[in-house]
Amino acid sequence: MRSWSCILLMILASGASAREVIVGSKVFTESVILAELATQLLDAKGIDAVHRRELGGTSVLWSGLLRGDIDCYPEYTGTLRGEVFAGEGVQSDEQLRDTLAQAGVWASGSLGFDNTYVLGMRKDVAKRLSIARTSDLAKHPELRFGFSNEFMRRADGWPGLKRAYGLPQTDVRGMQHDLAYRALASGAIDVTDLYATDAEIVHYDLLALPDDRGFFPNYDSIFICRASVADDVKQTLQVLEDSIDAQTMAALNAQAKLDRLDERYIAQRFAAERFNVVTSAGLDTRMSRIWQRTREHLGMVAVSLMAAILIAVPLGIAAFRNRNVARVAFAIADVLQTVPALALLVFLIPWLGIGYGPAIVALFLYSVLPILRNTHAGLADIGRDLRESAEALGLSAAAQLRHIELPLAARSIIAGIRTAAVINIGTATLGALIGAGGYGQPILAGIRLDDLGLILEGAIPAALLALLTQGLFGALERRVVKAK
Amino acid sequence: MPDAATTALIGPSGCGKSTLLKLATGLVWPSSGSVSVDGQRLTAENIRSIRHRIGYVIQSGGLFPHLTVKDNVTLAARHLRRDRAWIESRIGELLELVQLPEELLDRYPSELSGGQRQRVSLMRALMLDPEVLLLDEPLAALDPMVRFGLQDDLKNLFARLRKSVLLVTHDLAEAAFFSDRIVLMHEGRIAQQGSYRDLIERPANEFVRAFLRAQRVTPDA
Repeated sequence: MRSWSCILLMILASGASAREVIVGSKVFTESVILAELATQLLDAKGIDAVHRRELGGTSVLWSGLLRGDIDCYPEYTGTLRGEVFAGEGVQSDEQLRDTLAQAGVWASGSLGFDNTYVLGMRKDVAKRLSIARTSDLAKHPELRFGFSNEFMRRADGWPGLKRAYGLPQTDVRGMQHDLAYRALASGAIDVTDLYATDAEIVHYDLLALPDDRGFFPNYDSIFICRASVADDVKQTLQVLEDSIDAQTMAALNAQAKLDRLDERYIAQRFAAERFNVVTSAGLDTRMSRIWQRTREHLGMVAVSLMAAILIAVPLGIAAFRNRNVARVAFAIADVLQTVPALALLVFLIPWLGIGYGPAIVALFLYSVLPILRNTHAGLADIGRDLRESAEALGLSAAAQLRHIELPLAARSIIAGIRTAAVINIGTATLGALIGAGGYGQPILAGIRLDDLGLILEGAIPAALLALLTQGLFGALERRVVKAK
Repeated sequence: MPDAATTALIGPSGCGKSTLLKLATGLVWPSSGSVSVDGQRLTAENIRSIRHRIGYVIQSGGLFPHLTVKDNVTLAARHLRRDRAWIESRIGELLELVQLPEELLDRYPSELSGGQRQRVSLMRALMLDPEVLLLDEPLAALDPMVRFGLQDDLKNLFARLRKSVLLVTHDLAEAAFFSDRIVLMHEGRIAQQGSYRDLIERPANEFVRAFLRAQRVTPDA
């Protein structure tokens, strides 16, 4: 299985040349903008670089980096300390740098902002009460606090903050993050928790109160790369050090989230303004984007479905002939089907890396059960009369299978393939989470940016493809059963 | 079974009539003992060649719905790579024998009447010119009028074929119509065999008497 998927991976990855620098990003706006910025700067330096966007969360990016699927990606020191090296007692930045070096990873210095929790309030309210930093809050016990539910629970959230600053407020409640912003804007609450670079800070014109007692852990933004990348790559990324402060980052995030600008365009504009570097954003038209996604999507679906047919139909025949085979095959296929798609993708990453490989293997595994079941059911449903008639004619087992059993089961088998294909087309949208592209890419970006147009750019072609597939297989089924 | 004559196998449901036919064709294997056909013991190795020497027709006809009449009839011959010209001429003979028009050859089983289906099924069974013909209630599913006509045709056909025919039925009148050698089975064993007269006039035991009563025939019928 492994060598098989490796071959597939090689075929599919053959487009990427060995020398180009692959910059990855996580599934959120800030990460995409930073990675885009890095890619464009590398490109402007004449270094061949590509941006593989929105690959997933920290675990996906980190393991992708270690495996060499990607060369660099933007990360936060707090995330490395608290998630990647959790429990290893990494404290200072120097310790972190050493720990990274031991893992074969190079880190840039801080890009200039610390994307940690901060408390925020409306600027006009802050001004009226002359509050400029977090410690000033202690003088205003009447303030109403509304925090995200996670912040309320975390030890390094409200409980710790309250102790560290001796905050006296009693009107403190947990609420959903988005609601908290609206409550803040309407004056229903006075203070909420934010990330230092949230686009909403710009949108609602909020004041992010400095953490003057250093309570919150540092989430300094840095770039990390495989230590083996060329020196000019490292030097180019070091240009970004101390070049973006939290307000600037929040403004860039707001351009993507609120103004709905393409991250590539945002990065291009920033590179020109800040570094005087003219970069090529490689912006493309909607049609060419859709075409590209269609190719990626069809590639995933076709390869995984074909493999599933080649495996599941013979397996269904074997299961029909032998009860023990049936028991084992169905047990395994049933269990696989119950594994959530996301979990399956994450399981596969350590073996297959990110991108097409794990996506195709996961889709293959999901496609096996419907085809296997329908092949088995189609054969088992053939009347005893017909099976005995075929046998009594003195046909060999192979001839019975070819002339009688498979044609009679064809309708059921095709129905199984049709089910698998439609499930496959839907599930393949998750491929975007691990960098396999496809229609999931605009859907993910659309959800992240709250941009319905972008969501539809993925959702409509995906739905059309599913309908088209339904129709094609339906026609095929009718042709097969013309005589019944 | 006597050569070139029709034997009627009769008995109540579950007495083992059909099972006997399935044993002879190797569709079921005995849990104890062995089956011999023409002095040859049935084994997994020789079963296919023996099947080619046996024609087998079941109550539902067992025609393959996805194949035309012609493909149904010639499937085994094509599988055995018989000469094409031989197949064509054999089809002609069989059509004449079962009295079906040639146009039917390209139809699918679902486009045929019940009687036509059984005639096609008979063609298929006879295609390889078997020595023995086993018919498992071939007429039971037909309505009385069609059945009546087909009984006549079948009897004439058996007379022309001069093959050994074993016909399973649960209808004593039908058995008597086809054969003067009737085998009455009960719980897997032969209860009595003989002509219709023998059975009615000299029932061998209480079961035979009860079976005859259930058929609503009286000794003076």
